Amino acid sequence: MKKTQFYILFLSLLCSMTAFAQNDTVKVLDEVFLTDTKLKDFSTGQQVTVLNDSVLKKNGALLTSALNFNTNIYFKENGLGMVSSPSFRGTTASQTAVLWNGININSQFNGQTDFNTLNVGGYDNVSVRGGGGSVVYGTGAIGGTVHLNTNLDFSGKTKQDIFLQYGSYNTVDARYKVKTSEKKWRLSIAAARNSSDNDYEWPIGNRENENGQFYNNNLDLGLAYRLNKKNTLKFYSQFFDGERHFSLIRSSETKTKYTNLNTRNLLEWVIEFGDFISVSRFAHLNENYRYYASIVSEDNSFGKAKTIIGKYDLKYAASKTLEFNGVLTNTYTDGSGSGIEENTRNIFSSALLMKHRPFQKFQYELGIRKEITDNYKSPLLFSAGTNYDFTEFYSLKMNISRNFRIPTYNDLYWAGAGNLDLRPETSNQIEIGNHFKYKDFKLSLTGYYIQIDDMIRWLPSVGGLWRPRNEEKVETSGLEVLANWRKQIFPNHQMGVSGTYAYTVSKNSNTGYQLIYVPFHKATGAFTYGFKNLSIDYQLLYNGEVFTRSDNNSQYNMAAYVVSNLGFSYDFGRKNSYKIGTRVLNIFNEEYQSVENRWMPGRNFNIYLNLNF
Amino acid sequence: MKRRSKLLAIAILSGLFLNSCSSDDDAINEPEKEQPEGNYTNGFFVLNEGSFGNNNSTVTYVSNDFSTNEIEIFLKANDESLGDTGQSITFDDDYAYIIANASNLINVVNRYTFELVGQIDSGLVSPRYAVVENDKMYVTNQGSYEDSEATAFDDFVAVINLETLEVEKTIETNTLLEYIHEENGMIYVQNAAFGSGNGITVIDSTIDEIIDTIETEDNLISFEIEDGVLYALSSAILEKIDLITGEVISEIVIEQGSASNLQIEDGMIYYTIGTKVYRLGLNDETAPEAPVLEYSSNSTYGGMYGFEVEGDYIYTAEAPTFTENGTIRIYDLNGDLTTEFDSGGIGPNGFYFND
Repeated sequence: MKKTQFYILFLSLLCSMTAFAQNDTVKVLDEVFLTDTKLKDFSTGQQVTVLNDSVLKKNGALLTSALNFNTNIYFKENGLGMVSSPSFRGTTASQTAVLWNGININSQFNGQTDFNTLNVGGYDNVSVRGGGGSVVYGTGAIGGTVHLNTNLDFSGKTKQDIFLQYGSYNTVDARYKVKTSEKKWRLSIAAARNSSDNDYEWPIGNRENENGQFYNNNLDLGLAYRLNKKNTLKFYSQFFDGERHFSLIRSSETKTKYTNLNTRNLLEWVIEFGDFISVSRFAHLNENYRYYASIVSEDNSFGKAKTIIGKYDLKYAASKTLEFNGVLTNTYTDGSGSGIEENTRNIFSSALLMKHRPFQKFQYELGIRKEITDNYKSPLLFSAGTNYDFTEFYSLKMNISRNFRIPTYNDLYWAGAGNLDLRPETSNQIEIGNHFKYKDFKLSLTGYYIQIDDMIRWLPSVGGLWRPRNEEKVETSGLEVLANWRKQIFPNHQMGVSGTYAYTVSKNSNTGYQLIYVPFHKATGAFTYGFKNLSIDYQLLYNGEVFTRSDNNSQYNMAAYVVSNLGFSYDFGRKNSYKIGTRVLNIFNEEYQSVENRWMPGRNFNIYLNLNF
Repeated sequence: MKRRSKLLAIAILSGLFLNSCSSDDDAINEPEKEQPEGNYTNGFFVLNEGSFGNNNSTVTYVSNDFSTNEIEIFLKANDESLGDTGQSITFDDDYAYIIANASNLINVVNRYTFELVGQIDSGLVSPRYAVVENDKMYVTNQGSYEDSEATAFDDFVAVINLETLEVEKTIETNTLLEYIHEENGMIYVQNAAFGSGNGITVIDSTIDEIIDTIETEDNLISFEIEDGVLYALSSAILEKIDLITGEVISEIVIEQGSASNLQIEDGMIYYTIGTKVYRLGLNDETAPEAPVLEYSSNSTYGGMYGFEVEGDYIYTAEAPTFTENGTIRIYDLNGDLTTEFDSGGIGPNGFYFND
């Protein structure tokens, strides 16, 4: 074990050393204020969709809704605001990695991120990248990655943004952001609060959504300080405190609730010297959840994990067109919980990346990563991507990679059930993307194929005990379409249309059946039209029929649904920097559910005020 | 709300016409009586518990000659689901009481038509199994599920007045609770669940108080009572205990371990290990070596999620993954497969003979 560790360390050093010998570019200085630069630098052959602040204000505060209406990711939501798990390119919930300013924040306990425990008000943009990414982002980056970013790349005077929204079911969505900068430093603070009684009427049985109330408070901080020409310090911090009651199907059920308290801190020290950029990172993540099996009692089951990450990242620009990057990471986790004795685990990883643009139209990148840990046998991960611009309006992207999802604390250590012999889930995947661009119109068609081995599943074993095992193989293939058109048609008239469509076939290789809760078809659409100070926007979400039974017994299928939202807004104030608006959600009052017997709300309303100064 | 009180009124009214004869054992042949009316008079029910949290428990009716099979009969009769995680069914007089564990709910239906006549929807916390005695129903409740190392337990027996359908009393044992049986006016409750715990609490149904605890081996799985003898199965030992004195009469070691599903039918003892069924006589002193039957299933997980021996047949239920319907296989007493069919729901866990 030790030997391999040394070998990899040596290898990566060696590569950086050879690269040291050459020397010739000038850095664009402002780049130092960018966050998650890996996303920008190492996405060759893949597509990144960015949801900016204005898009994030169109849907509710919980991240599920924004992603559901704007991306190909399918969500399974146990009723509005309740547990929400994604399926990205037909993969499972723990095969989508969520990165906060470049740091993987999927739960140590179940390997997933519940997208209703993230408040979009805390971020400046949310980027979504389809396809593999484990070489850079580690565990879970199989279906794709979701990046939550704080932007420190700004200058000028202080800007404040207040967003207040009030809607049906006593739903409050309040967000405040301030960004300020001096020559040497940047500061960004975001605070957000979201709460709701969430007692919407169910379309059946003359019932209300009972015990579904929730709240969350979110505080985010970003600070960059340029010590001198070479040295910059950056600090990111996040605090999330949320409580959700879990809604009932029947009033006689026991009322339960769930709380999350998460803190995330990240310190970065960037040194620029010559053609090198060295980034040292130190991150501290604290994850706490408590589940109250009955709200009348203080008794709860809990999980708490503390993760400390040390990361050293050295980038070398050998020329204007050739870049090398070595990353060494050590992740130490100390976790415990009800049913989990305190366990620590240490994972050391080393990754090497290179990017080369041998001629103007062609770019490729290569990456490898290997982890060293006592916890599981770690596969060698790799990725390779190319972009080729045939003409101005057509380019071809290709990416091939091997990625993984490591066993979680629950999988390994759950008392009496955990299985220490688990292997990571590994994927081999390829994607080819055709990208068209004509004037204001952009279109991409991406086809992909993913083969996942050693899927970890919890299944009943002898004596009725549920235990995790490396049980299944899954093959997923599909087609993604993203389209976007935006134009000023006449003076004062602005128009924009965008849409996504995903066709997904995700099959259990043993049985040949489509995975449950993976729709063959998902589509989204958005239309905006602005005339002078007035604007109108329309959003559409279509989720096709899904199987809820693993033998694809269609008798129990969940019906397809179409949900539409309509919004109006009016800009006013000096420089039109104030906005007042209203939205009608689920305007056609579609009766729908994404999980069996977990109804979603019908038509509902909100009004909002947005002040920028 | 209105609807519920109406149902309650119906339940109370029908309660008035209940005759107080309680049948406490399926095996007792009642004297000739008029054939009841309804679609489900001559067969048995399969309870499918459904997937937890999805309110999709169902009941399938199968005729005694296995020729008819009707799924989702509760849904059809009442236009709604019977609840979340159907745990067990208890018959009394013309009624079937269906316990929905995660809904904290007992639906009371006419056992021949499956039409809803009442509901017990308060005072229960994770109800599991029930027996009826003296016009009262005794229901084990597990409360919140304590972990195996817990020292304090919130499990209790709820005593329900069958005329009002209200919980009148709760009896706490400070143990885990699971199966419940009645014998000569005494209620016997298993102080063990999911393979941990031991002992049987005895409740006198005339005073509804605990009067005794019978000790058993650890890791008690299930128990049966037959002719004054208590048969207690722990994973590797079958104990015979004198019901009156609590003395252990004999012990049979089951070497393979992991035994479950104890049944006594027509003078024979049955239990299962994995997907194998074993049988021995009431007076046998050693465990049988060869199984009566074994099935292998296409799904790797198999399991005897439900098991019952009744008359000339052995009934087995397999719940493959809890994301698809289960499979029912019925064998004759020689272990030959008689018939096999889809259980009509997720997680079939029990057979209830409507005769």
